[in-house]
Amino acid sequence: MTLPEFTLLRPRNLPEAIDSLDRHRGDIQVIAGGTDLVPSLKQRLFAPRYLLDLKPIRDLRGIRNGHGLTIGAMTTVGAIADSPLVAEKFPVLAAAAAAIASPVLRTTGTLGGNLCLDTRCLWYNQSPFWRASCGFCLKKDGKVCHVAPGGEKCWAVFSGDTAPALLALGAEIEIASPRASRRLPLADFYTGDGMARIKLAGDEILTRVHLPESSAGLRGAYFKYRLRGSIDYPLAGVAVALDLAPDGTCRRGALAVTALNPKPQLIPGAEAALRGSRLSDDLLDRLAELTNRAIKPLSTSASTPDYRRHIARVFVRRAVRQAWQA
Amino acid sequence: MRKELVDLSINGRRHELAVEPNRTLLDVLREDLRLTGTKCGCDDSSCGACTVVVDGQPMLSCLLLAVSYQDSQIQTIESLATQGELGALQRGFVQEGGSQCGFCTPGMVMSLHTLLESTADPTEEEVRAAISGNICRCTGYMQICRAVRHAVAEIREEEIREKERLHA
Repeated sequence: MTLPEFTLLRPRNLPEAIDSLDRHRGDIQVIAGGTDLVPSLKQRLFAPRYLLDLKPIRDLRGIRNGHGLTIGAMTTVGAIADSPLVAEKFPVLAAAAAAIASPVLRTTGTLGGNLCLDTRCLWYNQSPFWRASCGFCLKKDGKVCHVAPGGEKCWAVFSGDTAPALLALGAEIEIASPRASRRLPLADFYTGDGMARIKLAGDEILTRVHLPESSAGLRGAYFKYRLRGSIDYPLAGVAVALDLAPDGTCRRGALAVTALNPKPQLIPGAEAALRGSRLSDDLLDRLAELTNRAIKPLSTSASTPDYRRHIARVFVRRAVRQAWQA
Repeated sequence: MRKELVDLSINGRRHELAVEPNRTLLDVLREDLRLTGTKCGCDDSSCGACTVVVDGQPMLSCLLLAVSYQDSQIQTIESLATQGELGALQRGFVQEGGSQCGFCTPGMVMSLHTLLESTADPTEEEVRAAISGNICRCTGYMQICRAVRHAVAEIREEEIREKERLHA
């Protein structure tokens, strides 16, 4: 498969990158590791005139230990999965990063790319021929969402693994823009719309992820459902982070999911349910039920909505139990 | 589309060539440099047949834009044989039947080559993890895992012989 024609811009620093984005607005796309973008370009889901390669910008790479951790957006997910520092301070993030795709993709894919991942759908991630034969879809070139034909909304699913782990840890992200750079909680980054999935303007770049010191040392677990265990995006993902008192009572905890909605999200009510609780079947049932209410898996993948709903509840129980007993 | 003059370091040799920015490293290796050992399987990052080693790490060349990798050291399957003689890992594949149709073999070997560079005597689990992004439809993987054992044993014997030679 050939790639569409484009001009590749290789900025030496961030101001130069922002300047290019500003200049070619509407006709330019950022490429980080390219593990998601390149196949999508081959499928002609995008055909920008310019691609902006972030690889030459050295500052965007690396894990810095300070008050909490700061991870550059161009750090590969493999480097995060293999980092002893991340494993020690933020085990849920290490587990989520290690679950991404396969080793030969983790050497290339980046944290920033994983957070900005395009939403995925059975009707969207296909060749032009396949999509044309179905009359295209709402997300690309068509008018109807084949998943929910009666509605106006695109239900393509956010399928990054690191986002739920970072949400459970209360991470913040830093965004560079021609205006002032801004910092916001990761939870505020996602829209819930399968089309305009993230709040990132055309002239902005996600540059860093900040993990708060207050979340360092939280116990964690990440469970992921996918068709092929060795590669693949999640079809359901559950992350949990817990702070336990010496007597085993939960002082603080958070539960987040991915690949079940157009955005990754914290489960509302889970934090309150966990605070002050001890591990019990009742608690696990309650968390599973809260999750059940927050998710809306539809027929966006080769798996069924029913099974993804079922496995999400199972994974909530397993992940919380594993983190608790770790 | 305008071609760019690029300078790629492949198997220890520098290659200057004119390349369109939308061509993958896989395209350039196979079509421009005729290094056809690297295979194109799925061309969408699912199969691992196009695995090459970039700066010591296994990567899928069907995903990499060639012009972006001018500062990197790229290693392909062609680098493993010396003076026409296969490397230990490749001999292991031959001895154990790790290569049947052969299409996945170059990618498998490159993934395992990086594993052996960092881990001289990997566990079965480490071997399986290292090739988890490389799909093989013939062997059932067992012979590939045995090929690694074969190579590890051969490399160790060679080291012992080398030591004995030095002592003699």
